[in-house]
Formats: sequence, structure tokens, C-alpha cells
Amino acid sequence: MANNVHNFKVVLVGEGCVGKSSLILQYIENTFNSSHITTVQASFLTKKLNIDGQRVSLAIWDTAGQEQFHALGPLYYRNSNGAVLVYDITNESSFPKVKVWVKELRKMLGNDVCLVIVGNKTDLEKERHVNLQEAEQYSEAVGAIHFQTSAKLNEGVEDVFLALTNKMLEQAAKQRSRSETLERQGSQRRNVIIVDDEETAAPPTSSKQCCSHS
Amino acid sequence: MMPIFALQRSYKYMMYATKQPSLRIKQADLKCKNGCGYYGNPDWGGYCSKCYRGTMEKDRHHRKSHSDQSRSPVAGFSKFEEKKRQQTDKKSKYLNFAPVFRKTSAAKDVGRPERHHESRHINPEMQKLELEYMSYIHLGKQVRDDFFKFVKFFNVNIRNEVSSRPIEEVAAAAQKYYNFFANRINTHEIYAKAEQDVKDHLIDFFEKFSMTLLYGILFCPHATNDEEKDLAIQRRIRQLSWVNAHHLDCCISETSMEVRDLVYAAITHLLGMDSVKAPQEKLSYVVRCCQSVVEVLQHCQGGPVSADEFLPALIFVVLKANPARLKSNILYVTRFCNDTRLMQGEGGYYFTNLCCAVSFIENLTAESLNMSEEEFQGYMSGTITSVSAWESALVACEGMHQLCEHLSQLKGLSERMDDVQDATQSLRESMEAFKKEINTKVVEIRESTPLIIKPRKVPISLDKQDSNTTNLPSPIAPTVIATNPVSEHLEPVTIPITIDTVTDETDHDQGSVRHFYAQNLAAQELNLNDSKKGKLQLDITTPCMPIDTLKQSQSIELHGYDTQSLDGFITPDDGSLLGLSNINYDIDLSDLSADNSAADELTPEKRKSPNFIVDPFSPLNAPCNISQSPLIPSTAADLASSSNTDLKSDGFVLPFKIEESNLLDTQESSSPVNLPSPIKPHAPHYSGFSTQGVQFRVSPVILVIIIR
Repeated sequence: MANNVHNFKVVLVGEGCVGKSSLILQYIENTFNSSHITTVQASFLTKKLNIDGQRVSLAIWDTAGQEQFHALGPLYYRNSNGAVLVYDITNESSFPKVKVWVKELRKMLGNDVCLVIVGNKTDLEKERHVNLQEAEQYSEAVGAIHFQTSAKLNEGVEDVFLALTNKMLEQAAKQRSRSETLERQGSQRRNVIIVDDEETAAPPTSSKQCCSHS
Repeated sequence: MMPIFALQRSYKYMMYATKQPSLRIKQADLKCKNGCGYYGNPDWGGYCSKCYRGTMEKDRHHRKSHSDQSRSPVAGFSKFEEKKRQQTDKKSKYLNFAPVFRKTSAAKDVGRPERHHESRHINPEMQKLELEYMSYIHLGKQVRDDFFKFVKFFNVNIRNEVSSRPIEEVAAAAQKYYNFFANRINTHEIYAKAEQDVKDHLIDFFEKFSMTLLYGILFCPHATNDEEKDLAIQRRIRQLSWVNAHHLDCCISETSMEVRDLVYAAITHLLGMDSVKAPQEKLSYVVRCCQSVVEVLQHCQGGPVSADEFLPALIFVVLKANPARLKSNILYVTRFCNDTRLMQGEGGYYFTNLCCAVSFIENLTAESLNMSEEEFQGYMSGTITSVSAWESALVACEGMHQLCEHLSQLKGLSERMDDVQDATQSLRESMEAFKKEINTKVVEIRESTPLIIKPRKVPISLDKQDSNTTNLPSPIAPTVIATNPVSEHLEPVTIPITIDTVTDETDHDQGSVRHFYAQNLAAQELNLNDSKKGKLQLDITTPCMPIDTLKQSQSIELHGYDTQSLDGFITPDDGSLLGLSNINYDIDLSDLSADNSAADELTPEKRKSPNFIVDPFSPLNAPCNISQSPLIPSTAADLASSSNTDLKSDGFVLPFKIEESNLLDTQESSSPVNLPSPIKPHAPHYSGFSTQGVQFRVSPVILVIIIR
């Protein structure tokens, strides 16, 4: 079972009010700001995908984007396979924040983590304050995929997660091949332990008896 | 049951916290719980030695009868563990004796009896677990044996490791075992029959079973300073008791009853975390707590709850709950919960949020609450005290609580009051502005389109004139002046005329029309000499002449006005014949219209005029008309388009028309007796003109010629 299903943890980071929650709600529920949303919480959502016969289960973790919770980031990032970094194209200050998070994620998780940088709110193109070219260049420089979305109009939302999943699958395949050799060593070690277990299985029973009698 | 108990405990504990620590122990507390009168001992669960032995015996008996049916090979461990725990318990008690005298020891005092409780009932718990295993019994004996063998193996190994290795390594080992067991279940042929979800459950159950057994040594191990951390965070939370929802920028309304109930539910679940042993159970309590928090938020704001709102609310709940052994619980779950399985899902997410909340609380500064350093320090040192409805609800005093609740309600009301006042203020301002705007608009409009009182329309009916042909000679005779070039200057002209008229009037008393004519002509000549505009003057003079009764001043006025009114006529006119021809033409038109419609309107005027029969050429009428005329010279052209029909037709003609109409009226109204002689001679001429405009133009020329 474990071989078939890939469990990926994706963290969603971005400043407050850039539309993180709208983004995942749009992705999971296909609604925007609607009262018909069935999920009561938009902070933790899962999505099952099937990509080329590979079953993928995405666990999307929303994070609090407020400045005062910035320091808590690393607790969220732990063991995550991918990260969606969201900024608001109409908010100039939200893009530098993305850069900070990218640095943090890379520092913590190295190159194993797959990053997607998303410029949200393209429906407000008129009020754009973040240069598209600059954002794309930066994304390329840090090895992230850049996307532009509009959670409101459901533009490009699907693509973000699809691309991220593909990337994570690649990464997972790479890791598996890399750790194949290490794995063998590990399993050998475990075998040794099993032998241990068979042997030590008896002593406890005896000790139990002496305990109960004493 | 358990959570409620925990909540009560926590509240009791909170009350302890508010009290001063006292060294005095009540007599009753020292007595045996059985009430036998002897002193009890906390080591014996509050019983005296005799009663304790009795209960233990009973307990053992009870246990035996139960475990006879399904004796588990592991059951022995619990005994061992129980013994060990008692020892370690004692040890920790002695080790931490000093803090008993500290305020913070309250938490341990609460926690300790529970441990005793646990240790005594560990076997029922084991039985419960074994019963739970019954749901997997269908997997067969082989599976069962394998499962318990593993549990045993896990137990022994971990126990061995705990004593010799740091807890982190033990945790790593435990994770390894979990993985190993999961692999074995998924691959081993014994388990082949089981379905996937059963396997998953079995993996979880393995963890639960083992951890419940090992709880005593793995939870808050002695080798670590977890307990110190517990106390530290507890102290910290107590210091931060003044933090309310407002500080955290979360929208929990503290006064709403429903919200409060939901928050209580969240707190209960959070406290419940300490009452269970397996990491996954603790996790499930965390999840339940967080779901309550989500409910609270949904109640407060509606719509899906995102992390931005969730985390502050959770921090609030943690602050208000101040759960016992929070840090130990968190560390325990972090270390011994199956990383690969449980920490991936919802439980993992909420647990991470809890960790974040705790971390936030630990590192909380003035900045993170958006307040000044002084204010923060003030709160921390207690120099600033905030009375919140939330705090007071925890204080037993009902009155105090209500007071605070009312205070916060009043605060809300006053805020709303302010809002209302602001709104009224702005409304007032906008009303003022509106008023001003309207005023200025009105003034503007009045300026741009001044109110013009139209002259009473006095229709001209030439037909009538025709009938009274006798009346009209003299006034028309002057029109002949059209032949004379018309000049622009009127003022200088008027004066001499008036004089003339006065003289005329005086002369006229004698009733000689001829003489009047002569005078008139003379005046006209004078005018012509003066300003080349004799015709108009002549027009004016004629009506005046017949008026015997009028005073000189009136006549003068009349002239003055007339001339002015004539101005309107003259100014547009370049003079000479062309202008006159136009005028005549207009008159004709109006005449025709008067035939149709205006004739009726004329009648009241006619009715009216008989009243003034005394002065047939009614200067009263004339001034009336004239009074409007002053507007005409300046505005006639502009007003040509305005509603004034008379003016509209052609502004500059108006004065003439009016005058003529006046003349006609007066002529009509006036009995032929008054003015017979002067008019008569000319009457035949006039009738001829009126019917045809063209002729009208011609005849004056003739007249002029005659005059000359």
C-alpha cells in the first residue's frame, strides 16, 4: 500500500490576506467565498490525485501569515515535501516576504522541498504592483515554478497543484533511487533486530513472574 | 467524563493559583480516606495502612477473577510497571519536595493522586485494551500471538533503553519499531488475510497498546527536565492571564454565552489530553479541541476558518486553559507518536498548531501583541490590571462576574453609541452641505434666470380697431416718423418732449385737436432736430395729450417710460424704413392671432378699461406696460427665446406693440365723446393701414410728408 500511495505534505505560506485560504478552497471545493462551502475549516485540507497511475494524497497545511507568527514557520515546514508560496500581485510588500520564506525553507529542508511561487489576484491586474518579470526571474533563480492565479476566477489554481505534485513525484523518485542503497543497509539492521526480538521474547515473561510474586 | 473531571480539576487548580500558598494542612486531609479515624498516608492513596492493605487485597482479588479468563502474557508487565512507577513516583516526590512550598507545586499536587489512581487501576486498563483487541480476534490466534509478542518485545527493549540512553534516542528507536511493525504487518504472511484498513488499525493499536504500557516511564522521564518545562510554561501562562482575545487580534467575543460554551468545550478537550495515555489518544483530544476552536470561530465570523484566524484563537484557548503538564504532553506525543502515520494527517496539523501556540506563548513579547513595551511590562508586573469578562467568569464570585460582563457590555454599547453619534454628526454635516448646495444653486438659478413678471398680455385686436376706426388717428400719425432715421439717444430727447406734452396738455384743455397736432408736430420736429428720433416721441405724446386730468408728473413719467420702452425698439433697429416695415409686419401677425385667441383675453381688459373711462388714454395702463419695458432694452434680445410670447415674437417690437395696444384699448374703451375730434380726421387712413401691413407702412410716409 505504501508503495502505491504517495503522501505529500504541502505547506501554504504567504502574508496575511494574500488569498492562501481562498486558493486552497478554490482548489479543493471549487468555490470562492461561497456560503455553500462544506468544509468548516480551510486550514487543513487533503486532496487525492491520480497522476499517471500514481496515487497521491496531498495534505495541504495552511499557515498563519501574520508577522508575529513568522517565527513559528519552521514548526510547520517540518517534513513537508512541497511549499506553495503565495503573494498578492497588488501588494508590493508581499513579494519580499516570499523571498524570506524561500530562504527559510531552503535552509531547513534543503533542495528536497519543491517550491511553487504563486502570484495571486490576477483579476486585479489593473492594480498590479509586483513586476511579473521580476517575480519570474527570482523564481527561476531559486529553482521554483512561478504561477499566476486568480482564486476568485479559478484561473490557474489547478495548474499550481498539478505542477507541484509532478515535481514532488519526481523528487520522490529521485530520493528513492538515492536511498535505495541506504535502505538495504537499514533493513539489514532491522533483520538483526528481529533476531534479537526472537531471542529476548522469552526473558520478559520470566521476569514478569518474578515481579508478580515478589 | 474524563474531560469534565479534568476541567474541574483545572478550575480548582486555578483557584489555588489565585490563593496564597499555605503551609497549613487541614486535619481532615490527614485522616484516612476510609474514615476509620487513623491518619492516612499519601503513599497509600490517602488510606491508613490497614485500610490500604484491605483495598489492595480486594483489588487484587477483583483483578484475578477478571484476568483468569484472558490472561495476557503481558499482564505481568503491568505489575512490574506499577511497582516501578510507585518507586519513581516516590523518588520524584522527594526530589521535588522543595517546590511543595512554592505556588507552582499546586499542579503536581493535583497530578499526583491521579497517578496513584492510575497505578492502582492499571490492570483494568490493560483489560480494556485487551478487550479492544477483541475486535481483531477474528484475525486468528497466530496474529494475536505475533501481536503480543511484538508488544512485549517492544516493551522490553524500550525499558532497557530508557535507563541507559537519552530519551531522544529512545524515541528514535520507538519510531524504528513502529516502522518495523508496520512493515511486518504489511508483508508477513500471517497478516495476509487482513484487509488494508484493519492492518492500519492494527498498527495504530500496536502503538496505543505499547505506549499505554510504557506511559509511566516514557511520559515526563526523570532523565529530562520536562517537568521543569511544564512548570515554566504554566508560570508563563499564568503571568499572561491578562491577555485577552482582543490582544491576539482574534474575534472571539468573550461575553457571548454560546461562544463561551464552545470555548469551554475546547478547553475541556485540551485538558483531556492529559487524562489519556497513548499518543494517538492525546492527539485525538488535540483534534477535538481544535475542532471546537474552529466551531467557535465559525460562530463568531462565519465562513471557512483559515489558519490566519485559527492560530490566534488556539493561542487564546491555550492561555485560558493552562493545561497541566502541557509541555510534557507535547514532548511525549512528539517523541512517541508514529511519525509516518499520525503526524501526517489532521491530527498532525492540529498538533503542530498547538506546538506553535505554545512556542508563541513562550516567546511572546510586547511586539507580538502589538503593544508598547511599557504597557506589556505593566501588565506583566501587575501594575496594569485589566478586568476581563473572561477572567471574572473563572472567579467564583457571581456578582463580580456579572459586573465584569456588564462592564464589557457597556463598553460595547458605548462604542455603538459613539458610532451612532458619529453617524448623526456626519448626517448633520451632509445635511448642512446639502442645504448650502441647494441655496447656492437657487441663487445661481435666480441670477441666471431672473424672475420676470410678464406684462399682462394685452392682445391687440385690429378688428376692434377697425370697428372703432375713429379712435386711432393721432397715435399712428407719429408712427410716420419711421421715415425719420432713428437714433440711439433717447434720454436727451425725452426731456424736451415732456415739456412739450405738458404744454400740450395744458393746451389741450381747450380741446383743440388741431392745435395739439400742431404742437405735436412741432415737438417732433424738435426731436428730430435733437436726435433724429421724433417718431417715437410722437407716439408717446399722442396718448398723453388727451388726458386732461393727469398731472404733469404723470405725464412726464409716462413719457420717460415710453421713451425707454421705445429704446428696445430702436436699438435693434438700424433705423429708417426697413426697421419700420418689420415692425408693421409683426403687428399684423399679432393682430391676426388676436383675432383668433387673444380677443377673448382682451375682453377682461376691455371690461376693466371702462372703469377708467375718465381718462381714456389711461396713463395707468401705459405705465403698467412701461414698467416692464425697462427690462427690455437690456434683455430683450436675450429674452427673445424666453417664454414671454410677446417678447419672443420679436423683443424689440414689443414696446411698440404694447403701446399701440394701449392706444387701441384706450381708444376702444374711451367713449368717442372724449376723443372724437382729433381722431376722426385720420380715422379713414388708419383703417386702411390696419388691414394691410404694407399699406400701413406707406401711409405714415405720406403723413410725414404732410407734416413736413
